[in-house]
Amino acid sequence: MKKLGLLTVVVCGVLLLLKTAEFADWGDPNSPASRHLSPYFLENSIKDSAVPNVVTAVLADYRGFDTMFETTVILAAGLACFFILRVRKTEKPKSTYYRHVPTATTLRIIEGAVLPEQSKVFKRIDSVWVPFDLILATTCKAIIPFIQIFALYVIAHGHHSPGGGFQGGVVLGASIILMAISRNLGAAIAHLKEKTTVLMAMIGVFIYAGTGAFAALAGKNFLDYSTLATVLGVDEIMARSHGILIVETGVAIAVMAVMVWIYYNLSSAGKQDEGL
Amino acid sequence: MNIVVTVLLAAGLFFFLVGIIGIIRFPDFYSRMHPAGMLDTMGLLLSMLAIAVYILFDHFSYLSVFSSLKILLIVIFVYITSPIASHAIMDAGVRAGLQPWTREDLTKEET
Repeated sequence: MKKLGLLTVVVCGVLLLLKTAEFADWGDPNSPASRHLSPYFLENSIKDSAVPNVVTAVLADYRGFDTMFETTVILAAGLACFFILRVRKTEKPKSTYYRHVPTATTLRIIEGAVLPEQSKVFKRIDSVWVPFDLILATTCKAIIPFIQIFALYVIAHGHHSPGGGFQGGVVLGASIILMAISRNLGAAIAHLKEKTTVLMAMIGVFIYAGTGAFAALAGKNFLDYSTLATVLGVDEIMARSHGILIVETGVAIAVMAVMVWIYYNLSSAGKQDEGL
Repeated sequence: MNIVVTVLLAAGLFFFLVGIIGIIRFPDFYSRMHPAGMLDTMGLLLSMLAIAVYILFDHFSYLSVFSSLKILLIVIFVYITSPIASHAIMDAGVRAGLQPWTREDLTKEET
């Protein structure tokens, strides 16, 4: 079975490599892409969708199908990690570790003993890696809100500058992962449960596909944002601009949730009790 | 104004160059962290100041003031996070049990 897989990969790779020879040269002004597509996008993106950033206009409007399925691929990656790694039931650990914060002592509590309540005085810690660093924890606590604000800026500013849903979503997800690294996995899960991340990933893809389906139901092509004009109360060109923002928001939610979801599963080997 | 920008940028690049030489030349992990931290403080401050001054006086308007302030914000955030990152990496080295380099290591290498 493994040899068959290798054979398939090698054959497909050789075929793909052979076909690359027929590609147009990079930057060739006479290639079909430079003769028809690029000039059209550069000249008409403002007229069509009132978006100054041509990259965003191409990504979310002219080839919106591609971006929609990219979002779906990200969701599929999260699902793949979930199905491969996630463990349904884990045996309880022999002993759990708590930190008494005022005296900075570590308590090991054996099986059957009474566990202290999770509070500001007693904090559950991981059994494998138990450093506590006040400097690190405080700085991360102070810096995470700024990271998240910046992520929202990146998402909303995709119309005018480099940025957009994918980049902003990754920055948002990284802020949650920073929390998990600087404190522990439990602290991050207490803020954003695994179920919530799954739900958000689904909702993100649904916002994108739902926008497309709405256009189809309203009698135009799938993902034709100009149908949003009547709902939003603007003309068709501005409706395209707003439609791009709506799908970018969906992409950002999906990317952020899947990043966090994959991190939860990878860092704890699917057990999601304690990890890096 | 171009002279000010050039001088600032050259000074920033000088700190970057010295820091890079330090990262390559210093003998062990702990001493290499020192030039790595220096890159982020002086080198970044001077080169970002150069960019901020350039943007501010290139086409002077209230928009360029905002752009310069945003670039100075980069410096502020790196000043907060870079020492913390150095601290965390150093801490990880100590916890992993890495011994600092001493003069005896030098004589050992020679013999």
